[in-house]
Amino acid sequence: MKKLLVSLVSLFLIPISAGAQTLADRVIEHTLSNGLKVLMVERHQVPTISFRIAYKVGGANEVNGITGIAHLYEHMAFKGTTTIGTTNYAEEKKLLDQIEVVNELLIQEKRKGMAADQARLSELATQFEALQKEARQYVIPNELAEIYDRNGSVGFNASTGKDVTNYIVSFPANRLPLWIAVESERMARPVMREFYKERNVVLEERRRSVETSPGGKLYEAFLATAFAAHPYGNPTLGWPSDVDNLSATETSRFFKTYYGPSNTIIALVGDFKADKVIPMLEAAFGSIPTAPPPPRVVTVEPPQRGERRVEVEEEANPQLLLGYHKPNLHHADDAVFDVINALLSMGRTSRLYKSLVVEQKIAVSASAGSSTPGARYTNLFTLSATPRAPHTTEELETALYAELEKLKEGGPTQKELDKVVTNIDASKIRALRSNGGLAGQLAYFEAVADDWKYIMRNRDAIARVTAEDVKRVAKAYFVKKNRTVATLVKQQAAHPDTKNMTDAKEDGR
Amino acid sequence: MNRPGIGTILIGFILLFFPVLTITEQASAGETKSDPRTMTFDPIVFQPPKAEPVVLSNGMVLYLLEDHELPLISLQAMIRTGDIYEPADKIGLAGMTGSVMRSGGTQNRKSDEIDESLDRIAAHLSVGIGTLSGSASLDTLKKDFDFGLELLADILMHPAFEEEKLTIAKNSALEGIRRRNDRASSIATRAFWKQLYGKDNPYGRDASLETINSISRDDLISFHKHYFAPNNMILGVTGDFKKEEMIEKIEKAFAGWPMKDVLTYPEVAPVVERNLGAIYKIIKAIPQTQVRIGHLGIRQKNPDFYALSIMNDILGGGGLTNRLFQDVRTRQGLAYSVGSVFRPGKLERGFFLAYGATRADATHQAISTMISHISKIREEAVSDLELKRAKDAFLNSFIFSFSSPAQIVDRQMSLAYFDLPPDYLEQYRANVEKVTKADILRVAKKYLHPDRLIIIAVGDEAHFDKPLSVLGEVKELSIEP
Repeated sequence: MKKLLVSLVSLFLIPISAGAQTLADRVIEHTLSNGLKVLMVERHQVPTISFRIAYKVGGANEVNGITGIAHLYEHMAFKGTTTIGTTNYAEEKKLLDQIEVVNELLIQEKRKGMAADQARLSELATQFEALQKEARQYVIPNELAEIYDRNGSVGFNASTGKDVTNYIVSFPANRLPLWIAVESERMARPVMREFYKERNVVLEERRRSVETSPGGKLYEAFLATAFAAHPYGNPTLGWPSDVDNLSATETSRFFKTYYGPSNTIIALVGDFKADKVIPMLEAAFGSIPTAPPPPRVVTVEPPQRGERRVEVEEEANPQLLLGYHKPNLHHADDAVFDVINALLSMGRTSRLYKSLVVEQKIAVSASAGSSTPGARYTNLFTLSATPRAPHTTEELETALYAELEKLKEGGPTQKELDKVVTNIDASKIRALRSNGGLAGQLAYFEAVADDWKYIMRNRDAIARVTAEDVKRVAKAYFVKKNRTVATLVKQQAAHPDTKNMTDAKEDGR
Repeated sequence: MNRPGIGTILIGFILLFFPVLTITEQASAGETKSDPRTMTFDPIVFQPPKAEPVVLSNGMVLYLLEDHELPLISLQAMIRTGDIYEPADKIGLAGMTGSVMRSGGTQNRKSDEIDESLDRIAAHLSVGIGTLSGSASLDTLKKDFDFGLELLADILMHPAFEEEKLTIAKNSALEGIRRRNDRASSIATRAFWKQLYGKDNPYGRDASLETINSISRDDLISFHKHYFAPNNMILGVTGDFKKEEMIEKIEKAFAGWPMKDVLTYPEVAPVVERNLGAIYKIIKAIPQTQVRIGHLGIRQKNPDFYALSIMNDILGGGGLTNRLFQDVRTRQGLAYSVGSVFRPGKLERGFFLAYGATRADATHQAISTMISHISKIREEAVSDLELKRAKDAFLNSFIFSFSSPAQIVDRQMSLAYFDLPPDYLEQYRANVEKVTKADILRVAKKYLHPDRLIIIAVGDEAHFDKPLSVLGEVKELSIEP
């Protein structure tokens, strides 16, 4: 979920082959009549195409009570449409509507807590299960994936971040019409079928990447502590109780609000002719009705008044994660943080590796991150490190703060700054090797910065950063008051018998 | 655990090339309808480039493929070695030799100088030694390639193994060992390898604090000396260069590196079938149970592999439409991660593995569902639709095995390294086209054995829906340090 630190820049500046134009000339932009933005790069080496659809929506658009809804919708987008995944949508819809009615009654009864009518609860639950089973008779499970599979799709997947939700796939180039037919349908007429089973799948995903993952737990606690007001503090997978209460009705509403054409970017890279593709896209996607602009995220994280600390106790070895609030990607200081990030953690010659791992030998790894957990809104500059036993997270904190103090005092050398720019430029050229990677970057930056050319501006801004900028920014932001520190604290395994006794006690209460 | 889709399988261990690649399918002359279910497509005709191997006077084998799209050059090397050859009391030695070759300087250059030089020109250079091979890679801008090659050659020929960098590599390995039980998924996977191959077998063993601590600089020096030689190495280069010039550059870079007349390898203990039908539990107070179910499989040269790969795609390997995904995840909502792998071994028998993770109180339900699918596919023929889907998915995505020159050359090298025919991938494709329902039933019966499954469950048994003992006799394992 880290920002894909700039990645294409110099491809726009460096000629990509003898006599060829720069990539800046190769990106073809087109906006469909309904406002949907299309970015295309033709590459004819191999007859394949990589596709990305990015929506300007993610965890940041959620409020308490519906956390996890952006991610759950992303799962539902694989369930098909009114024509794909069903044998009889008209009949299926009647049942899906009834399921929603019963679900609402069930939730109302459950909310009575101790006063809930158990008999009624059980009756509703039975009805709820029966209706789902009945609806299933019309479902062709995973038909959308099945159509893609047998047509040779590769990497069919999606991801939900704080700022952007991405839908990803690559095909042999001749499947372009298939992709257009399926994706335009998926965008226009999705159906929330098998919703309550998929909700359970998402809860399993949470158990896997948070509840049984020490690093996942630490990250969740860290964000929840660092953000008091802004939705960046909520887990993208959602709080379990929120996910457990999400309904298909609410999720469908979320889709209608955020998945309109003007909130959408399509990126294609590979073997096609843009002038032939544009009319095809216009015909299929251009006819999707425009939607009102989605609501803005108005909450601004207020200034922090003092250091915040949080511990997570786990049956696992210690880890440290800390962060400082910083502005979003449109602020002039953002590029300075990109430079600081590279100085501290890029490669074997970076400051953190050399100091903590090689010289002091108190850590086995140390890294930085310049836009956690997102880039569109004010976010965090993070530092993380893994101590080497018997060294402690306290020792790592001291060592990391010492590195930040060095930035305030001396700033980087010109040699260090040059190295940062050289490496960023090289990474831009390397990014061109992969159709998928390039499509992903174009779509992501168009979504998060509202303009893919941000990539070039950011590269130039990084090249202009001076030692004085680094010192100034370090002094302004790397202060105790602005800091959140999360530590994973080792707790010995509870003996299973002891644990059962505890549970028994709680059950008996 | 990664979901091994078809793409992964191809990239992972198959290689080859041919003059003309024609990807065919049931096609009705370019007609497209708006219903994606019935759309059909003409075959794609594509002639992927290939590299002709060149053998240098020092015995080094080169595969070169020019690609002038970007001003980059990428080199990859394979060295005939592997951690299966390291002594039992020094497990971790092979990996550490590779790691400190890269980090520990050369007889001509200090390690810090090398790191500075590489970062200054944004070059990537790596060395590693895995289970069955050693590898090295270099990726630079075209203008910096000569210098990068000089560094790489120096590292491969004259590593210094500075004590200081060995200490850091050991620190990292030791801390990794201390942390390897922090996640239940890692506990389950390690336990599975140990029960499947045996904790002393090169495929089942892993490093301990003791074996890492016993490794000395002299061990690294002799491991390197034993295996690294020009005639024990295959090298591939792709990117913006002229082939003839590149051959000269490589000759020059490795000039004076003596060939080895005799290359010897210690005998590797054979893999023997063990723990047939054993069920193990590892108790850990977590809300989600990690499950591993499997047994030994086949060697890659076994001609039944083609049918088995399609069988596994139907059972639990391919896309979002395999049986385990459809039932355990989509229909029952029991898991986010579930699937199966039938991976052939290159030198030894490979394995069959079904994996999943589910909430504690659905543990038995998930395990018994998984086992029922393993049984069912060897009792009843798969449907025509399932077979067609799996074959179409394989054949239509075949083009992605040729996505870049680096991928093509990498595969050619790997085929040569493992002594597989240069047209292995084409044979694979041709054989997959021929697979029938009867083939799948036959290989499922022959190579899947529900009565021999090793079952591992890591979780909180007090909260399981049913005790594991419902499945048979259960042994409890403690978490290995």
